[in-house]
Amino acid sequence: MAGNTAYAEPESKLINKNKKVFKPKTITEKTADVLYWIMRCAIAVNVFALFFPTFNAVRISQNINGNMSLFTCAVSYKSMLSTFKAVLKRQVWIEPAFKSLSFCAVLIIIASVIAIAGGCMSLGNRKMKKLGCFFTLAAGIVELWGVLGINPILNGLINDSYAAGKFDDMKLMRPNVMYIYIAIGVIYIAFSIVNFFLVPKPEEGIGMEMEPKFRLFLMMLPIIALAFVFSYLPLYGWRYAFFDYKSGETLSMEKFVGFKWFTEIFKTAATKKDIMTVMKNTLAMSGLGILTSWVPMAFAIFLSEIKNTHFRRIVQTFTTIPNFISWVLVYALALAIFSTDGFINTMINSMNPNDPTVSTNYLMESGHMWLKMLAWGLWKGVGWSAIIYIAAISGIDQGLFEAATVDGAGRFSRMWYITVPELIPTYCVLLLMSIANILSNGMDQYLVFSNAVNREQIQVLDLYVYNLGIGSGLIPLSTVVGMVKSIVSVILLFAANGVSKAIRGESIV
Amino acid sequence: MSDIKLNHKQKREEKKYFKEHTTHIKLTPGDIVFNIVNYAFFIVFTISCIFPFYYLFINTISDNELVTKGAITLLPKGLTISNYIQMGKVNDLWTSVLVTFLRTFIGTALMVFVSALAGYLVTKKEMWHRQFWYRFLVITMYFNAGLIPWYLNMSTLGLTDTFAAYIIPGIVSPYNIILVKTYIESIPSEIEESAYMDGASYWTIFRRIIWPLSKPILATIAIFGAVGHWNSFQDSLILNANSPELFTLQHRLYIYLRKSSNISAMVQSGISSADTTAIAGQMNTKIIQYTISMVTIIPILCVYPFMQRYFEKGLMLGAVKG
Repeated sequence: MAGNTAYAEPESKLINKNKKVFKPKTITEKTADVLYWIMRCAIAVNVFALFFPTFNAVRISQNINGNMSLFTCAVSYKSMLSTFKAVLKRQVWIEPAFKSLSFCAVLIIIASVIAIAGGCMSLGNRKMKKLGCFFTLAAGIVELWGVLGINPILNGLINDSYAAGKFDDMKLMRPNVMYIYIAIGVIYIAFSIVNFFLVPKPEEGIGMEMEPKFRLFLMMLPIIALAFVFSYLPLYGWRYAFFDYKSGETLSMEKFVGFKWFTEIFKTAATKKDIMTVMKNTLAMSGLGILTSWVPMAFAIFLSEIKNTHFRRIVQTFTTIPNFISWVLVYALALAIFSTDGFINTMINSMNPNDPTVSTNYLMESGHMWLKMLAWGLWKGVGWSAIIYIAAISGIDQGLFEAATVDGAGRFSRMWYITVPELIPTYCVLLLMSIANILSNGMDQYLVFSNAVNREQIQVLDLYVYNLGIGSGLIPLSTVVGMVKSIVSVILLFAANGVSKAIRGESIV
Repeated sequence: MSDIKLNHKQKREEKKYFKEHTTHIKLTPGDIVFNIVNYAFFIVFTISCIFPFYYLFINTISDNELVTKGAITLLPKGLTISNYIQMGKVNDLWTSVLVTFLRTFIGTALMVFVSALAGYLVTKKEMWHRQFWYRFLVITMYFNAGLIPWYLNMSTLGLTDTFAAYIIPGIVSPYNIILVKTYIESIPSEIEESAYMDGASYWTIFRRIIWPLSKPILATIAIFGAVGHWNSFQDSLILNANSPELFTLQHRLYIYLRKSSNISAMVQSGISSADTTAIAGQMNTKIIQYTISMVTIIPILCVYPFMQRYFEKGLMLGAVKG
């Protein structure tokens, strides 16, 4: 709690109130704290292991997809056996075994949920801690029940498949990772019992409470976990860049190839040529975007020269609409205007009905692709980007303009010497951001406008990664390209930030 | 009463005064040329922004035969709404509309709630390692593992070919958390502190004080979030490629646009068999494309007038600081 003199009294009251509940810790309590930290770490490991295919304790057969985590096996029995269907059809007798296997997975999930609850309670006061111990104890028991259930199922399957003569079909194996879960379960049980006796007896008349700092943290925890899973966890996918991996396969150390794919890009003639054109397109289109980045500013300045408020508002309203439709819709509009039976061709034909002109599909031409993409980008974005400048212009002191007029400044000198300098700081920030994003043009625009004819000219880095990875299934190669792109982008961002700090004394990130 | 009358009179006089004193500013020939060019540019650009929408629209409400002949240029001819009625029979279009509406509502609601809660929590200095966790969230804006690791991560988590793939990844949005946090910091802290003194829990303070007071910013992020959900197309294209029943409207439109001039294939995949011949006879690819495009655009145009007042706040989206 930050000391604020105005609120000194209420804050000290607060602290007193807290002190009443949370007494100074004894030595046994401190020992319990250390044990609690170990247990919380075990809970974290347990929870994350659920989502990693490597730690799938119920993968007792190589027929089960190696990219499935324990969690997926538990929630979806069907997808656990999706790669198993052929075998399952021939040997119906194995089905009960796999049903109980997915029950084991569910037990482990339940145990983890109880353990999370217990772990959260361990942040509370003595009374809460004591209750938390029961939770973690229960979690340990359920977890061991689930994990130890796997072995008998596996043994039963081994015996049955030998008896049926189908042992090789089943590709059974003993998942060693289940010892991790056993260890975690043992930690839960042992530590909860020990901690129950280490935590001193709670005072009479005090209910379950928790310090504010932990209460706030626990409210935040789910949000942090989501951010971790969807923003940090994908970074772990960079490992695919170092393996010889094909879609649907299992990742194993035998397929480790080091930096093979990094050099591969420049070894193969075809890939090398691809990368060169892609880089050329990317830099050209981003470069054109940067060269025309002053356009929204000019748009705003000239619009503000119009004195009729109604007209200005109408222009603003309608030029901003394109920003709010997707690129797919932009393409639909482009089709309506420029395709073979679109507006332009219809107009040309209706002007001279006797002359059978051949209709051209302007979208199937490959000429000036960079400029066309730039034009679409400007059409979509200029009205929206101008708003920030319009807001800035309306904030300029009118007295400056009046003074300049009195001094004999014309319209253009007023624009150039008053308005533009006022807008430059905003412009600089946006310019630096666009330089930092030079490799990220986005994919949607180029994907929707690409076709067999203009493919060469339109493929930018983001689209290339998509085509390579999702289209052709070359996962390691596309991961390498994406990885290099991400790293370069982050470096550029920090460079742009450094430049901004050096010049303007303000950071942009 | 007399005061008000006087006020009106004053105002009228003021107006008169300004009219007399402002109209006599002389326009030089240069000014006139400038104004003409300036007005002309903005008129042309504005028309270029709305004409494609208008052209699509008049084609969908015109007589189909005339459309096919290419007779529709600037005005609709032979008004009819039969295209929209015919479109109602295309089953996969309606599942897409439903999926898109659902994801827009659920996704936006969850995103707004979580942004509000997170924005509130990160303003609480007493939180355990607040600064670290705040940075942990904000820093995710500046790096990106890339498309393929993201896809592999989603499939590892079992989120491919599920509706949840549209919702869950978008719940935590660092941009919006920063916006809400900045806004909440501008609310006088006395209100909150007095509630805390009265024994209100953090949750109660959030629900009863922070949530109602930060409604303006929440409306802003809700409207931009909803447009983002409505327009989103990549997640459907990449994650749910094998589940046609989960395609979003944008994805569906993309497929129809790509299938140009292949009416038979489209009729087979898109339209329930009973109506196949009836529809194929009356509508060609072009009209189907135009009509679906209109169905996709209309909701955006409907909320657009309400969005406009949030523009200035939404602009902060582009220029926020951590």
